[in-house]
Amino acid sequence: MITINETPIRTARNFNINNIKIDELNIKKEILPFNSFKINSEISVLEDVSNSNLTYGLGHELEQQVKENSNKKIKLIIDKDYTEPIELEFLLNKNNPCLIENIEIIVEENRKANVIIKYKTEEDLEFYHNGIIKVISKENSLLNISVVNLLNTKTNNFICIENLESDNANINYTIIDLGGKNSITNYYSNLKGAYSENKLNTIYLGNENQVFDLNYIGDLEGEKTNIDIDVQGALKDTSKKNFKGTINFKKGSKKAKGNENEFCTLLSDKARSIALPMLLCSEEDVEGNHSTATGKVDDNQLFYIMSRGFEYKEAMKLIVKARFNKILENIKNEKLKNEIIYEIDSRLD
Amino acid sequence: MSKSNIEEINRNIYDFKNKDEYDFKIKKGLTPEIIEEISNQKNDPDWMREFRLKALETYNKLELPTWGPDLSELNMDEIATYVRPKTSLNNSWDDVPDDIKDTFDKLGIPEAEKTSLAGVGAQYDSEVVYHSMKEDLIKQGVIYTDMETAVREYPEMVKEHFMKCVPVNDHKFVALHGAVWSGGSFVYVPKGIKVEVPLQSYFRLNSPESGQFEHTLIIVDEGASLHFIEGCSAPKYNKVNLHAGCVELYVKDNAYLRYSTIENWSKNMLNLNTKKAIVGKNAKMEWVSGSFGSKISMLYPMSILNGENAKTEFTGISFAGKGQNLDNGFKVVHNAPNTSSLVNAKSISKNGGICTYRSLVRVNEIAKNSKCSVSCESLMLDDISRSDTIPTADVRTDEVEFSHEAKIGKISDKTIFYLMSRGLTEEDAKAMIVRGFAYPISKELPVEYAAEMNNLINLELEGSIG
Repeated sequence: MITINETPIRTARNFNINNIKIDELNIKKEILPFNSFKINSEISVLEDVSNSNLTYGLGHELEQQVKENSNKKIKLIIDKDYTEPIELEFLLNKNNPCLIENIEIIVEENRKANVIIKYKTEEDLEFYHNGIIKVISKENSLLNISVVNLLNTKTNNFICIENLESDNANINYTIIDLGGKNSITNYYSNLKGAYSENKLNTIYLGNENQVFDLNYIGDLEGEKTNIDIDVQGALKDTSKKNFKGTINFKKGSKKAKGNENEFCTLLSDKARSIALPMLLCSEEDVEGNHSTATGKVDDNQLFYIMSRGFEYKEAMKLIVKARFNKILENIKNEKLKNEIIYEIDSRLD
Repeated sequence: MSKSNIEEINRNIYDFKNKDEYDFKIKKGLTPEIIEEISNQKNDPDWMREFRLKALETYNKLELPTWGPDLSELNMDEIATYVRPKTSLNNSWDDVPDDIKDTFDKLGIPEAEKTSLAGVGAQYDSEVVYHSMKEDLIKQGVIYTDMETAVREYPEMVKEHFMKCVPVNDHKFVALHGAVWSGGSFVYVPKGIKVEVPLQSYFRLNSPESGQFEHTLIIVDEGASLHFIEGCSAPKYNKVNLHAGCVELYVKDNAYLRYSTIENWSKNMLNLNTKKAIVGKNAKMEWVSGSFGSKISMLYPMSILNGENAKTEFTGISFAGKGQNLDNGFKVVHNAPNTSSLVNAKSISKNGGICTYRSLVRVNEIAKNSKCSVSCESLMLDDISRSDTIPTADVRTDEVEFSHEAKIGKISDKTIFYLMSRGLTEEDAKAMIVRGFAYPISKELPVEYAAEMNNLINLELEGSIG
């Protein structure tokens, strides 16, 4: 077993949340070329990614695998405003069973763009994904970025996201996390620049025996920086979710704000939800809030919807999806949005 | 409310020290021979001697925590784990030696006994020097005595409960406690008896480079109720002192227990205390905790809700000043249907102090229809301090309502402006806001302890704001 996705600060070992242990066999050793990639934009796809060290990352082994053995390197430089979303699609299938990608996106000063990155599996077979997405946002830039995981539930999914933001930079991240046998995410934002902002909205939906391990970390370093994390999820069957969210007000982050909200709907009495929403603070003049809630679908809401003629399952799906809707609005591609809704529907059945 | 009122409080009531005089002080360190010697000195029965030696083995096997404050300055080779004061147990203050009696007089214990308590225990270093309880409670069958007497006189009851709620392998400092424990209080409240007036035990550690390891065992039998108050303090020395007490509380079906603590150890103390309650059907356990002293504190009282409809509440405040690292919190395990827990934790950090709220809520699969609500608030009084909130929630059933919310921030400028527009100085306005912030905790304490807590807050704030 190896230990990955460590929290920035440890708590008691028997709380079972400091990290996650996975079988080493889950990390693929045999790496084949990956040729099932599409991009819809004319933007130049470069390959000279910087390969700099990650601040946190999932762990040495997974990070090194991407740096040394990635079978897809993508560097995008946003040096003009893009009105249409730039869409990257990775389709894992029998001929492309292993994706190890290293993506770097540099958003130049005053530039705006929307980027959508989609991971999907074609067959219901065991594939492998391990990737890094690094964003460097320069002064006054705006990036809306969505990462959509539509992998099957046999595939291990490891993903590491890192954002570095300069003054007045703004990154709005949306993560749709539906697939993966083990779906392990490390998300780190460094708001170094004054007035920089980061929003992160996540949807996760666990069924069968899926395991989600979400480790989200926001360092606020610049003055008047702002981070807002909203995570909405539901767990079916024997699925399990660990949510670890850290907002760290570092010295110098005067008048910074940080909010973190996690809501988990339990749809089975065998599902398990662990949450560790941390607020760390070394600066006086800041505002930090977090809230987390776990529970089943509200009986009154169910009763109301069922009294309007819906069956139990439909009513339950409506309530769960209602919590996801606001986040789904961030997906700026109707076709993809409908594909996600269809996937959510079928996984809730 | 003027500044002069704040200045009137004299911290010397906690920091004064008596000469390090004792009847017996064990040599420093931790070996089987030292444990045997403690056992000899205490005239332990065989089962307790064996228990201590096994606990030492466990201590040697367990690791230091890999989380929380740095404990590397703790060197057990420099700590004397047993110091017997130059007096035996008394039930009259007149029989307590003058310097020790003066100590408790200055802390206000005999006076409180007269006015507002039903019984008092006072421990000085490793042994209880005074124990007394009102006659009517004795007649009702209430037992309130020191732990050593309980081991001798109520062996069956002690054997059945001693370190069963807090097992010796819980963590390293519990194992240490099991090996060297001395003193503490034993309380038994028989079925249906309501103890209307609180009992209080006060723990004073006078001896330098030593430890206090008192054991508190309270059994509130079915339908009974009790309010127990624990106070602790010590004078400040240059070297580290250690407190690793253990509190085991059994709240049987339909019973009620409130356990209040005002902890004001000196700022060279490592306070590595363990407190746990097992709560029965329809029973209620309330914790009220004010944590002001200690250099390092790692204290997480715990309620295990084992009976259907069991309830628990935790109301606590930590106040960390210069050189202090207070890592406190609460743990609850919902282990039966329809159980509920309510947590209200506050912390204030100033002058470089570190406050951490660390907690665990676990709702087991069996705990259908349970409810848990947690609220934490942290106040930062300057930009050289630190405040962290590290709560864990582990929910294993869908039939549950769990919510947690936390806030961190400074005193609102608008509120200060409002109060100043009503004639207060900025310093008084801030002090008033801090007292208001602590009010939900102070209102839960008996009035004289609430006053003590407010005095402590005033003391801590003095000169630190404005």
